[in-house]
Amino acid sequence: MRNPYEVLGVAPTALPADIQKAYRKLAKKLHPDLNPGDKAAEEKFKEVASAYDLLADAEKRRRFDAGEIDATGAERPQHHFYRDFATSDEGRSYQDNSGFADFMDADDALADLLRRGERARANRRGRDLHYSLPIDFAESITGANKRLTLPDGGTLDVTIPPGLVDGQILRLRGKGAPGTGEGGSGDALIEVEVLPDRRFAREGDDISLELPISLSEAVLGGRIRVPTPTGDVTMAVPKGSNTGTIMRLKGKGAPRRGGGHGDQFAKLKVVLPKGPDPELEAFVSKWDKGKAFNPREEGTS
Amino acid sequence: MIMNKQEFLTNAGLQVQTLELWLDQRWLIADQASDEMTFSDADVARARLIRDLKGDFGVNDEGVDVILHLVDQLHGLRGAFEQLHRNIKELSR
Repeated sequence: MRNPYEVLGVAPTALPADIQKAYRKLAKKLHPDLNPGDKAAEEKFKEVASAYDLLADAEKRRRFDAGEIDATGAERPQHHFYRDFATSDEGRSYQDNSGFADFMDADDALADLLRRGERARANRRGRDLHYSLPIDFAESITGANKRLTLPDGGTLDVTIPPGLVDGQILRLRGKGAPGTGEGGSGDALIEVEVLPDRRFAREGDDISLELPISLSEAVLGGRIRVPTPTGDVTMAVPKGSNTGTIMRLKGKGAPRRGGGHGDQFAKLKVVLPKGPDPELEAFVSKWDKGKAFNPREEGTS
Repeated sequence: MIMNKQEFLTNAGLQVQTLELWLDQRWLIADQASDEMTFSDADVARARLIRDLKGDFGVNDEGVDVILHLVDQLHGLRGAFEQLHRNIKELSR
């Protein structure tokens, strides 16, 4: 075990900030997951990491400086790096082939070899199959059971968890293409597309909607029915509500992962009845205070 | 080893809020074939990599995104290269 100061390339008098800086610089270069093909990187990284463990801890550093513990006093527990799994079956769902997809398309010897390799591997795990599944906005909030029809005519039952967001990927282990030999099947990766709803919009766990109300509901208040993804609810509109007033329906938003629900926010919009209304015209023409009110003047609204 | 959410959090040393954020970012993908989400050893190792990047290396979230994307491509490429290597060996036998 080398001297930790030498390993990090810092002076024994280095400040903690310098030690961290030196460690970061080396660790970024040596991290095994950023050097998947370099066997030596792991040993070097471990050496750097344990040197840092020792020197970053003021007490351990003091004891090391005093000669109470040696450089091995702070070995990190053994752990597996991601690179150990990344090309195995377990890591396969993260693998991205876009880095060489253009070679596969080509009509040359290399492309042929690549394709032949895909076919020839014995005991090969089946490919992951990618699907997309559009669902309604309401289903994304409440959750749903959907049946996906596959290109080969088969079906796949998919449970949509409540509160799912647009673009979320559901992984169904073993529902991909069958493997060969003892390879086992691949996974089905389903990207769920939440179709837009003209009434609702989602912001995090909250849902917003624009809610038209009549002039009389705005002026006099009243109880009105409000649509939510889980069904209509009744809400009291207070007297004198205006366009733009936002009402909160507590707990009527999307389910939160940790439990509970977000809220639904209804933004009121006052809508006049269609077409001219003689009674309304007669009233407004006699309403002097209303005519004197100019909402475009500052401080009036 | 296949583990449930709680076991995964313990093994990866993560808080539940962090896991949810990482799932939202699609840095981790849970298996949802059964009612309960499950994770593998590869997911634990991947979570450690993300923790190293964010903690020890001071990489911000945008940086983690870029790094994971490149790492995933690199492993795709390594997988293909490995296969190619094997095929060439077979052909030349």
